[in-house]
Amino acid sequence: MSTPQRRRRGAERRPRFAIAVTALFFALLYLPVGVVVLFSFNSQKSLTVLDGVSLRWYSALLHDEVLLDSLGMSLRVSLVAMAGSLVLGVALALGLVRSRSRLGSFAGLIMLVPLITPEIVTGVAAMLLFKGLGITLSTTTVMLAEITFSISYVTVILRSRIAALNPEVEEAAMDLGATRRQALRLVTLPALLPSILASAVLIFALVFDDFVLAYFTTGVDPQPLSVRIYSAIRFGVQPTINAVGTLMLAGSIALIVLALAIPRLFGRRGGLDLLSGK
Amino acid sequence: MARTQQTGTEIPPPRDPAAPHTPPPARTRPRNRPQPRLWTWLLLPGTLWMTGFLVASLLLVATLALGTTDPLGNPRFGLNFANLTALADPAYRTVLLRSLGYALITCLISLAVAYPVAYAIALRGGRFKNLLIAAIVVPFFANYLVRMYGWSVVLSDDGPLLRTLRAIGLADDGTQILQTGVGVIAGLVYGFVVFMIIPLYAAMERMDTSLIEAGRDLYGGPLRTFLFVTVPATRQGAAAGCVLVFLPAMGDFVSAQLMGGPDQIMIGNLIQDKFFQGQNWPLGSALTMLLMAVLFLGMLGYLRRTRKDEAEATR
Repeated sequence: MSTPQRRRRGAERRPRFAIAVTALFFALLYLPVGVVVLFSFNSQKSLTVLDGVSLRWYSALLHDEVLLDSLGMSLRVSLVAMAGSLVLGVALALGLVRSRSRLGSFAGLIMLVPLITPEIVTGVAAMLLFKGLGITLSTTTVMLAEITFSISYVTVILRSRIAALNPEVEEAAMDLGATRRQALRLVTLPALLPSILASAVLIFALVFDDFVLAYFTTGVDPQPLSVRIYSAIRFGVQPTINAVGTLMLAGSIALIVLALAIPRLFGRRGGLDLLSGK
Repeated sequence: MARTQQTGTEIPPPRDPAAPHTPPPARTRPRNRPQPRLWTWLLLPGTLWMTGFLVASLLLVATLALGTTDPLGNPRFGLNFANLTALADPAYRTVLLRSLGYALITCLISLAVAYPVAYAIALRGGRFKNLLIAAIVVPFFANYLVRMYGWSVVLSDDGPLLRTLRAIGLADDGTQILQTGVGVIAGLVYGFVVFMIIPLYAAMERMDTSLIEAGRDLYGGPLRTFLFVTVPATRQGAAAGCVLVFLPAMGDFVSAQLMGGPDQIMIGNLIQDKFFQGQNWPLGSALTMLLMAVLFLGMLGYLRRTRKDEAEATR
């Protein structure tokens, strides 16, 4: 790989191999997504031949009551899971960072479980729990399972933010006469607001797109959108899936861009550390 | 429990070492404020929730793995090891070994892809670094099934990939990717390679690039510098990435279903089948526990490895 001529050029050498692999990687990363978007506008049913541009699959989607019901259910589940996991997760993250009680180390440990357990295991477990308690699988069970799953994410994201806060600001507020609870409400939570909003958007996107957990905990009707897509693509090609997929892609991308942009909107750099966990 | 801890919390909390200035502890403020029980109270709802749903449900799986089914197919708790011994069935062993193999190959391919990508972005990305990483992460957040579906279209016999390969003579008419193990692995890599890139990228970012220059100054070629400088300096990121790819790859059942044929099923497909088609929940639970056991062993190895690394680093 290193011919003498190239070596002489010294430090300016570009890692051509790495750059070529990266270019290929990006091409393959976006090809499937591009195919879905492209063929959602195809006027024919084919997945290999583009015949002409039309919106027929989108209009078919608009008349597909079953899919629309699923969409509505997924939106409801995501909203409820977002709200529930935020309330529980923010409180938990504050407690984990600030409390020195033994409960904290126990909570810190179970927090990790969903992150290191494959989703199929948590899915099976949640389904058995509901069935064991005699609860019929329904929208509610999906919500409960998604909240459980999302708490960990909220906690992980917020923990580092809370640890980075200067506790002296809170103490100063208390010196000025605030109670601890007031200090939390008036000083700490506003300081955390950008991170809380960003994780809210992220949780919404994750839950909306989640498949495995929803698959194991959903009842018969309506089913979450991703579960509906799963049964559709298992039984042959349906071009409406391209249209649904395109809309979901657009939605997810909008949400992720929003989640990344929120810290910036609040005048802080580096929204990306949300994702890379730095 | 909280009360016994209270005496412990009388000690002022350790200051953030990163805080700009830490005045000497000349605290004139009276310390009559009761130590906050609020923090412990905040822990309570989340902990109860997670214990009630997560811990309880996982224990339920473990218990049911020892259960039986009655003649009607309903699960019954019990204490028999028939399900566990059933796992020794050669058919299951084949599936388990295949899953392990596929997940390991997925890890290796992900490493091979992620190293150049992370390297190029972290070291040559310049001001586009964040944008490029975002461009990798964003499609990953798109619905998993839609991505897999798009990928299966790309890999299909008449899809763009095989047509290109045929056109440049790298494949003939009979070449298939779907319905083969290659297809399953391609699906797994596509699904989870992001988990490898992100930790590797973070490790490369942290890496002291003067090490690479030193390697070059000592007349190491690019390959040697990469193997003996870059790889060791980023191996913790690589190890973390391997865990993050291996875990979901072992549990996945979508890839094997969409990209593979009936000969390519993985342990996730078996579990799914036992719960939805076969209705043998105890056996499904036993298979789930088997999956967990395998992953637990893997995690243990990872933890020992990183602990050794840390011990070496602090020596």
